[in-house]
Amino acid sequence: MAIEEGEAMPLDCAIIQEIYDNGNAQEQFEFDLDQALEAQRGIIIIEPAKLGDETARWITVGNCLHKTAVLAGVSCLATPVLIQNDVANFISIPMGTLSIICASIYGVSWQFDPCCKYQARGSVCHTCRRHQQRLHSCLHCVFFGCYNLGHIHDHFRLNKHFLAVDLSYGAVFCFACNDYIYDQDFETVVKEERLKASKFLGCNGWEFTPWEASRAEVSLLRRSPRRRRVTFNSTIGLRGLINLGNTCFMNCILQALTHTPLLRDFFLSDKHQCKRKEGRYQSKEDPKDQCLVCEMSKVFQEFYSGLRSVHIPYKLLHLVWTHARHLAGYEQQDAHEFFIAALDVLHRHCKGHNGTSGNNPNRCNCIIDQIFTGGLQSDVTCQVCKGVSITVDPFWDISLDLGPSGGQVTPTATHTPAPGSTPSAQPDFNDSNSSGSSTSSSSPQEIETGLMSPPGFEDVPHSLDDCLRRFTRPEYLGSSAKIKCNSCQSYQESTKQLTMKKLPLVACFHLKRFEHSSKLRKKISSFISFPHELDMTPYMSTHRRASGLRENVQSNRRHLSDNRYSLFAVVNHLGTLDHGHYTCYVRQHRDQWFKCDDAMITRATKQDVLQSEGYLLFYHKRILEYE
Amino acid sequence: MADFSERKLKDTQMKASINQTLIESGEKERLKEMLRNKLIECGWRDQLKAYCKEVVRRKGLKHVTVDDLVSEITPKGRELVPDDVKKELLHRIRAFLAQQKELSSENIPY
Repeated sequence: MAIEEGEAMPLDCAIIQEIYDNGNAQEQFEFDLDQALEAQRGIIIIEPAKLGDETARWITVGNCLHKTAVLAGVSCLATPVLIQNDVANFISIPMGTLSIICASIYGVSWQFDPCCKYQARGSVCHTCRRHQQRLHSCLHCVFFGCYNLGHIHDHFRLNKHFLAVDLSYGAVFCFACNDYIYDQDFETVVKEERLKASKFLGCNGWEFTPWEASRAEVSLLRRSPRRRRVTFNSTIGLRGLINLGNTCFMNCILQALTHTPLLRDFFLSDKHQCKRKEGRYQSKEDPKDQCLVCEMSKVFQEFYSGLRSVHIPYKLLHLVWTHARHLAGYEQQDAHEFFIAALDVLHRHCKGHNGTSGNNPNRCNCIIDQIFTGGLQSDVTCQVCKGVSITVDPFWDISLDLGPSGGQVTPTATHTPAPGSTPSAQPDFNDSNSSGSSTSSSSPQEIETGLMSPPGFEDVPHSLDDCLRRFTRPEYLGSSAKIKCNSCQSYQESTKQLTMKKLPLVACFHLKRFEHSSKLRKKISSFISFPHELDMTPYMSTHRRASGLRENVQSNRRHLSDNRYSLFAVVNHLGTLDHGHYTCYVRQHRDQWFKCDDAMITRATKQDVLQSEGYLLFYHKRILEYE
Repeated sequence: MADFSERKLKDTQMKASINQTLIESGEKERLKEMLRNKLIECGWRDQLKAYCKEVVRRKGLKHVTVDDLVSEITPKGRELVPDDVKKELLHRIRAFLAQQKELSSENIPY
């Protein structure tokens, strides 16, 4: 424990031995260190050279146990092989027992090893014994001092040790420059260690650090010195689209997609690596091989190029025609159908390219799935045994009924909507080629439903919240639609409730304005108010389940996850069921709105947007969580 | 008066012991991590960054040191931390200490 002054060493060198052999070891060590510091040694070497008595004993015993365990284990296994008679058993069994006993004693005693206690001690300032106040460690000797109270400064003045490292952030302070200095090698080490430490502690935040230009990116920036400054009133990102013959359904969806912030960031940061292009570049003539994602990427380039002229999306249209045959031709199409078809094709083209595993078709991490896919939970509750069977389906959009109430909660209601025709977001994901709500049959409406509905239930929704409430309320499936219950193994009447299991980053709400039922085909033009900011928390599965619990449980939940959404695009339909025109409102910058009517773009106010009829509503999540 | 100083002493002792528990369990780093994420999410970091830039621009790059910057932005930085974030941090610390107390009854005088 004493300071040894090695004769062979240079004179201002001290060696301190750091031994943890009793409870006071830490104090003794620090005392030695203080002495060495007072003696103004230039170099202090700390080494655990001689082992303390207790530590030495621990290690000897530990070694013995360890070796015995291994040797006994080996002989236990070896004797039956070498000696082929009954004697082997008399040796083998005791040896095996001995091996196990030694191993367990070794394991247990390691738990009580005093060394373990010293593993996670925090460091404290050597002057004031505190740990806050931006602790710095001297890089010349063993000294910790706080920066805020100037103890590390005192150390510098006394010893002229001018380099110190900040213990929380790893930055090096130089007292000669009186500032932090940044050394590239050192920074790399800091980054690596930080990542290692955070992984060890089970948090992954340091993996998500702000972008730093790599060497290749720096040189790229140097080579292209042209910069475009996006100011508050710049029109970058706004471009009209020529109507190529009843293609306003495509134009409005294209406008909405190009103004989806996450999608824009994806494409403008050049994240799409197309494998299709590399592999079969020769067969360029065959449009079947061309990638829609690449074309989207080009469209984004066009939109954000700063040009103000009208863009002609003929290539995109051609690709859509080739990949989604049912949309080909110059007829009028449903914008919603196009949206789903476009997502489907984009999704398919991404999947083949970005190296995702095809094991689980419902969970791929292509950009389309990351942004647009949510999970819809459907709870079917058996009315007899109250058993619940839960299924979760992926969805890309939520189709909301606008007509008079179709399903009722009270089991006494007489009418029986077919189970498939609930006001549901169809799992468009799976069969998106054929679906699209314009083709789906709405629930058979009955004139009496208005009379049947219990008081207090709004019959016709007036707001998006009404629609969503109706969408997620329990619904009686009727006596004719008996479903086999898994828990009581019989066909029983049941109720079904849809809730949001997983929210998508971009939620698309489709208001079913086009009604195709057996009796009538009409467009519902009633005004549905929709908010600028939407909180989806009440429609979450977790919230629904928790609603029976106490209020404070809920508020905690709400506190932890933020499910607020902001409106960023609205597609409107003008005209009638048979012929009409689509326009689109898009949000630009933070809160400027523009109306895109094919080639014409005009400025609009938030009021204009919120007062519009609304056919497709696009919301994006306000806060993105780490995954 | 004596009572007051005694209490103060107790307070510091408890603070130290709580801190020690937090460090030894690694919880402190996790809390820091959470706080860092929350502050980034709520835009605090960006706000402060913008303010730093403004300070540097005002004083001139040559005439500004880390100490100046720290002393200038600290009050503003503290002020800008949203109450929600503070509350959540407190909640997490409480929850952790309660859990620790459950694990070993003699651990912290909480």
